[in-house]
Amino acid sequence: MTAPAIETQELHKKYVTLRRKEIPALNGVSLSIERGTIFGLLGPNGAGKTTLVKILLGLALPTNGSARLLDSHTGGTAARRRVGYLPENMRLPDYIKAPALLRYMGRLNGVPSGTLKKRIPELLDQVGLGGVKKPAKAYSKGMLQRLGLAQALLNDPELLILDEPTDGLDPLGRKQVRDLLLALRAAGKTIFLNSHMLSEVEQVCDRVAILDRGLVARAATPDEFTRGSGDYILRVAEVNDAVRAAAAAVAKAGTWQASTLRFAPRDRAQLNALVDKLRAVPVEIEAIEPVKNSLEQFFLKVVSGEDS
Amino acid sequence: MFAAYLFSIRDALNRRMALVLIGLSIVLAVVFNWIIQVKLLPGPVIFLGPRMFWAADLGVPSVLSAGLEFTGGVFWLLLAILAAAPILSSSLDKGWVELTLSKGTARWQILLGGYLAGVTVYFTAVVLALAPIALRLWWQTKISSWPLAVSILLQTFSFAALLALASLASLPRIGAAPPVLLAMAVSIVSAVLAQRERGLYQVLTSRWSHWIFDWLYRILPKTSELSGMASSYIHGEKFTTWWPFWSTGVFIVATLGLTAWLLHRKSL
Repeated sequence: MTAPAIETQELHKKYVTLRRKEIPALNGVSLSIERGTIFGLLGPNGAGKTTLVKILLGLALPTNGSARLLDSHTGGTAARRRVGYLPENMRLPDYIKAPALLRYMGRLNGVPSGTLKKRIPELLDQVGLGGVKKPAKAYSKGMLQRLGLAQALLNDPELLILDEPTDGLDPLGRKQVRDLLLALRAAGKTIFLNSHMLSEVEQVCDRVAILDRGLVARAATPDEFTRGSGDYILRVAEVNDAVRAAAAAVAKAGTWQASTLRFAPRDRAQLNALVDKLRAVPVEIEAIEPVKNSLEQFFLKVVSGEDS
Repeated sequence: MFAAYLFSIRDALNRRMALVLIGLSIVLAVVFNWIIQVKLLPGPVIFLGPRMFWAADLGVPSVLSAGLEFTGGVFWLLLAILAAAPILSSSLDKGWVELTLSKGTARWQILLGGYLAGVTVYFTAVVLALAPIALRLWWQTKISSWPLAVSILLQTFSFAALLALASLASLPRIGAAPPVLLAMAVSIVSAVLAQRERGLYQVLTSRWSHWIFDWLYRILPKTSELSGMASSYIHGEKFTTWWPFWSTGVFIVATLGLTAWLLHRKSL
């Protein structure tokens, strides 16, 4: 069996200030991320997301606990050569141009010169920076982000760790990144996504964890998070007394709002019975949808402590 | 490490202070070549201006050691540290350091690459300033000026000690000023400590203060003595002791080792 792409056990991290005051950042994070999946990490500011990413990349040392990356310990250079990382708020030297940056990043990752020569123009075209000659200081936030993505992909990594990859991108750019992530997953890559863009996480991630005050508060698939209470919404073309009576015969507890009925069927048979009853009135049914939570609603419940 | 070295050289050449240093080296080389005249009387004679002159066998070492003293002086050292220290401090800039240190190259290699680039900048500047006049004097007088190469290496070694200290002072990530100030302070203190028996000890007479200054002298790099060694080597004098050389070498290795260890342990 293949080892998980990322595995942490009881990871603790405390920062110590100059006055010896301890500030806990992680309080025992245990995670396991399967290969070939997109994993989303959510959490409010200060939850410990960036600290976790830094420990995974060997940029920070844990106070306690263990972390493994691609079946190697996190401090080793061998594992890091198989990882692509896009940091949040990436800053580049003002004068540097995209090909020079990519060459340097590639060499730090041990990518052979011949491969770099071929791969750099390809990647720059892929992220929409092909032919851009200006230095980094003249880049917009979106261009910097695209360049950041290109450098993260340069070594054809098995694992991509992306911190806010769509930050600063326009809707088209965000869509391109989403498509890219899905294509990478299809190619067998593992993606660890740290993002505030909940809708994006919902769209692309196979599994999501919510980190709150240094702990994994919840971890599940987006579907499990957004699964509703079992309520359905049924919209009809026209409401009159006959329609209300037909509905009340099957769904006594249903509530009407304009032409929309919301109710909680016991089972699928009861839902079908309601549809039959309404069609018999007759009335045209425009839509039937299960009521779902948005990931944002669920996230807010978790971090506010409403969802225990 | 070689990638970090090449990148740091490129980084230095994109900084104003390094360009100023290289530009001044070229100006210095031009000035030297302009004011030094060689005339072939019965034997070659070196003129500095219309009145001051030496016979070539005295003149060649005198001219070269004067140049070397200038490039080992406080002004030049300050410029060189100002040019080289930001290579190290900027490599730890937030947003950039996360990018470089998350790659598959060990931290110590990135540190060493930047450090060697800083040393190279200084070495290049000194060579640019002094090599043209050295070559010209050799060409015109046939008196060998190769001891200058050894002297430049000695002086670069002295600068390397200051830069090692600057790299250690870069770790707290509070800008380029503290490393520059610390390196300059140590260069000045080194000169004072080398002369402590004739200076400091005349003022401070307690045994404890002597003990402290003796230890400071032993620990800190001997930059002024290395400059003296470099200058005397050009004049063909033999070294009476290698102590300044190897104790500075120990300082460089220990400081760089400590810096690499602290950087390795540093949580970003």
